[in-house]
Amino acid sequence: MGCGVTKTSEFNKRCDRAMKAAVLIQRWYRQYVARMEMRRRYTWNIFQSMEYSDLQDQIKLYNFLGYLVDNFTPSSSERNLISHIFRENEVCRDAEWERYFSYTNIDVPDIYSGPRLTFPLDMDQAADLVEAFKNKQQLHSRYVLQLLLETWKLLRVLPNINRVSTCHSKEITICGDLHGQLEDLLLIFYKNGMPSLEKPYVFNGDYVDRGKDSIEILLILFAFLLVHPGDVYLNRGNHEDHIINLRYGFTKEVLGKYKMHGKRILKLLQKIFSWLPLVTVIDHRVLVVHGGISDTTDLGLIARVDRHRYVSALRPPKKKNASRSNLYTDTAINEMIFCKNRRGSLTFPKQFGSRDSFQRRSLQDFSSTVARTVEEELEVRRRQAEFSLSSFSMSHRNLNSLSSESDPDSSENTETSNEEWKQILDLLWSDPMSQDGCIPNEIRGGGCYWGPDVTEDFLNRHNLQLIIRSHECKQDGYEFCHNRKVLTLFSASNYYDVGSNRGAFVRLGPDLVPYFVQYQATSMTRGLSFPQSVKRTEHTALKVLREQLFAHKSQLISAFQEFDKEKTGLISLNNWASAVEQVLHLDLPWRVLRPQLVSDTTDSMLNYYCWFRDLALKKPSSENVEQTLLETLYRHRSTLETIFRIVDTDNSGLISFEDFRQTLKLLSAYLKMEISDEAINDLVISTDTNNDGSIDIDEFMEAFRLVDRTRLESSRSLQMFKQENQDQPQEEETQQTADYASPQTAVSQNADSAGQQTADSPDSQAADSAGSQTEDTCHNSLVPPQ
Amino acid sequence: MAPKKDAKKPDPPKKAEPAPAPAPEPEAPPKPAAVDLSAVKVDFSQDQMEDYREAFGLFDRVGDSKVAFNQIADIMRALGQNPTNKEVLKILGNPSADDMANKRVDFEGFLPMLQFVINSPNKASFEDYVEGLRVFDKEGNGTVMGAELRIVLSTLGEKMNEAEIDALMTGQEDENGCVNYEAFVKHIMSV
Repeated sequence: MGCGVTKTSEFNKRCDRAMKAAVLIQRWYRQYVARMEMRRRYTWNIFQSMEYSDLQDQIKLYNFLGYLVDNFTPSSSERNLISHIFRENEVCRDAEWERYFSYTNIDVPDIYSGPRLTFPLDMDQAADLVEAFKNKQQLHSRYVLQLLLETWKLLRVLPNINRVSTCHSKEITICGDLHGQLEDLLLIFYKNGMPSLEKPYVFNGDYVDRGKDSIEILLILFAFLLVHPGDVYLNRGNHEDHIINLRYGFTKEVLGKYKMHGKRILKLLQKIFSWLPLVTVIDHRVLVVHGGISDTTDLGLIARVDRHRYVSALRPPKKKNASRSNLYTDTAINEMIFCKNRRGSLTFPKQFGSRDSFQRRSLQDFSSTVARTVEEELEVRRRQAEFSLSSFSMSHRNLNSLSSESDPDSSENTETSNEEWKQILDLLWSDPMSQDGCIPNEIRGGGCYWGPDVTEDFLNRHNLQLIIRSHECKQDGYEFCHNRKVLTLFSASNYYDVGSNRGAFVRLGPDLVPYFVQYQATSMTRGLSFPQSVKRTEHTALKVLREQLFAHKSQLISAFQEFDKEKTGLISLNNWASAVEQVLHLDLPWRVLRPQLVSDTTDSMLNYYCWFRDLALKKPSSENVEQTLLETLYRHRSTLETIFRIVDTDNSGLISFEDFRQTLKLLSAYLKMEISDEAINDLVISTDTNNDGSIDIDEFMEAFRLVDRTRLESSRSLQMFKQENQDQPQEEETQQTADYASPQTAVSQNADSAGQQTADSPDSQAADSAGSQTEDTCHNSLVPPQ
Repeated sequence: MAPKKDAKKPDPPKKAEPAPAPAPEPEAPPKPAAVDLSAVKVDFSQDQMEDYREAFGLFDRVGDSKVAFNQIADIMRALGQNPTNKEVLKILGNPSADDMANKRVDFEGFLPMLQFVINSPNKASFEDYVEGLRVFDKEGNGTVMGAELRIVLSTLGEKMNEAEIDALMTGQEDENGCVNYEAFVKHIMSV
C-alpha cells in the first residue's frame, strides 16, 4: 500500500472496511448456499420416499392377490378376476405364435403418414423412425407388430450374458434408465450419435414406465438392435415386467396409443421382456447390469438359466405345492425393524441418542388397516400348509387349472428354479449400500442391499474391475461408490420433476476409463438458476406431500387426538411431527419441513382442524357416497387403478358393473375395511356415465381428477413458470404464499411432471392452498364421477 | 427454519483470538490456538436438540450418523448460524485438508461446536449488510458497480470463486451493470 503518508490511515481504514464488507457478504452467501442445499436434500428425500413407498404398495398388492389365488376356492369370483396374471406363461410352438401375432392382415390406410417399414431394416429406416418420433408421429400397429416379432426372433438366440469388446479402438457408450423419456434419448443421440458400427451402445434397462413415450423408446432401441445386432446391447431392467407395467403406466400408454391392437402388442412385449439378456460384460473386465449383485451372484449360473421362464420378477416360478413364497411378507417386514438412512444408504439398527426416529424406517404400511398382525400371518401360513398337506392332489389340480399348459418341470427343479429366480431378482433389483454385508432389500421388495466387501469379493471371483449399474436416480446423472468400483448411471433427466436431476451417459474406450457426459432435457431448465430450480422442485415435492397429508386425514386426526386427550383441537408442534411420522412412515425430517407445511400457529400450538381446512383443496361435495369411502378410494387410487387393469382381462379399458363391484370388494378385503354393498351400489350408479352397463376405467379415475399426462405438454407449464419469475426478479417469496397459486400456473405445473409418476401421482392438478382459490380448477376433489 | 438463537451462556470459553467481527488478512495468518470444546457447556432445549438432530441427519450421506469435517460449516449455516470458514477451522482444531475430507463427527460431538458458534457475538443484521455494501457506493446513490463487487468478492476476505459469484449476482445487475444494494440484501436475506 504505497500511498502518501498523510493518506495512509484513511486508506487503511477504507481497506479495512472493504475487507469487512467482503467477508460479510461471503459469509452470508455461504449461508444461503447451505440453506439451499438443505432444501434440495429434503426435497430429494420426499420424492424418493414416496417413490419407494409406492413400490412397496405394489409388492403388497401383488402378495395380497397371490394370497387370494392360493386361498380362495376355484369358483370364487374374486379369484377368477385376477388369477390370469398368475398363469404360467404359455409355451407355444412357433407356428401358433406367428398366427397369434400375425400382422399381415392388418391394413395400413393410405392416409397414414408415418414410417412404412420394410424388413430387413436398414440404417436409414432406423434414422427415419427416430425422426418420425421426434415429430410426434406414431408407428402404425402393423409395423409395430412386425418389428416386435423380428425383435423377438433375434432376442431368442442371444445369450443371457452379452459379451462386448472395445477392440479396434471403439468406444462403447453406456446408458442407464430412460423411463419413457424420449427427449433424453434424442438428446443422447444428438450429443453422441446414433448407434452404428463405429458407435456401439449398451442400454441398461428400464426403458418403460413413468414417462409418456415408452413404446417409442422401445421401438427405436429394437430397430437399432435389428440393424446392428453386433453393436447394440440391451439389458433387462426391473421395469421390463408386465406386472410392474400395470401400475407404472406402460400398459396404459400402449392401450391408449393402440386401441385396436394394444393387447396383442402387450402380450408380445411380455415375451420380449423375458427374452432380454440379463447382463453385459465388456472386455471381460466391466459388468453392466441394471440393479446389481448379491453375495450369491454367480455369473456361471446366470449364463445357464432359461431366462425366458422368468416372465415377471414378482412371480416366482411355479411350485408344486400351494405355499407361495411371497416376496417379502408384511410380517417379515414388520418384524425387521430396520434403520435406513434414505439419504445415503443403510445403517444397521443402532442406538443413536435418545431418539433415532429420523433414521428408523419400520416398514409398516401407511394404513394400519392393511398391516397384518403376526397372528393373522400365522393363520395364513397355517392355512397354506394345511392346504398343501391335506389336499395335495386337489391343489395340484387347481394349479394346473391355472395354467393353460402343464409345466414340463418336475418337482426337483423347483429348488433350482427358486435359486435361479433369486439370482435374476438380485441382478435386476439390488441397490448398493455403504456398510459391508448383504441384506434383503425390503424397501423395494426384491433383490438385496450389497456392501463394498461383496463388491470386492465378486470382482475378484470373476476377474472384473468395475460394475456399472442403474436403477437409482442420481442428482448428477451418475455416482460412484464402493471405492469407485461401482458406478450408478441414470439417463432420465428431470426424473422426479423438472430440474430435479441431470441425466448422464458414459463412454468407455479400450483403457476402460469412463468418460461422462451429463445433460438435462428441456431447454427451459437452462433458463432457471440453481436456486430457482431448487425452489421449483421443492414446491412440487411439498405439494405432493400436502396431498399425502390430506389423504390421510382421518388417521392423522386420530393420531393427533392421542396427544390431545382433552380434545382441545390443539397440538404442540413436536407432537405434530411425531404423529405425522407415525401415520405416514416416510422417514422425512418433519421438523425441518414444518415451516413449509404449517403456516398458522399460536404459541407453538397448532389447531389441527384449521390446518386440514387449509390443506383441503376442494371441499368434497358428494352427499350420496360416504366420505370415508371416497377418502379411502382417493388415497389408494393407484392400487385401485392397478386392480382395474388386472381385472380388465381383454384390456379394453372397460369393465362391467359386476366386475367393478368385485373390484371394490377386493380392495376392501385388501385394506381390511368394510365397504357396504349400499355404498358400492351408490358409487356404481353414479359412475356409469355411458349408461351402457360398463364403466370406463379412465373416466372413473378421472373422478379423482387424475389428469392424463399424455394430454398435457410439459413445456407449457415451465413457460408459465418462467414468465412468472421474470415478473418478479428480485423477490423470492416463501413457498406458502400464493406466488404459484394462480390456478392456470398450477394447472400446467403439475402437468409437467412430464411423466414422472411419483407415488400416488401428483398428476392431479392442485393449486396451492391457503384460500387463494378463486377458480375451481382444482383437484383432489372427492367427487364421484358425474 | 432457523432454530431459536439461544445466547444464554454469557461467559464464552477461552479463545485464542477474541475477534467477534471477522476481519481476516488475505495472507495465511499464523495458526491460532485451537478451541477447547470440552469447556463449552451445551445448553439447548430438548426441542432445539431434535431440530438440530434432524438437520444433522440430512447431511449424513453415508449412514453412519456422522458428518465429515468439511460439512460442519454448511450444517451450521443451514441452522441459521453464520461462521466464517476460518472460525470453523479453528473450532475443528485446524485440521489438514485430508482431515477435512475424511474425519467425521457425530451429533454429540457437533453440539458443542454449534454452541460455541452461537455464543460468539458476531451476528449481522440487515443494516450491517447494507452498511457493508455502502462502502462500495462511490456516488452515494444507493448502487454499487457490479464489476467492482465481483472483484472484491474474489480477491478479499474468504475468496469466492467465479461460479459462486455468478450464482450470487445473477439477475442483480441492471443494464448499466449496477446493483441496488438494499434490494440486493433483501433478496439474499429472503431465502
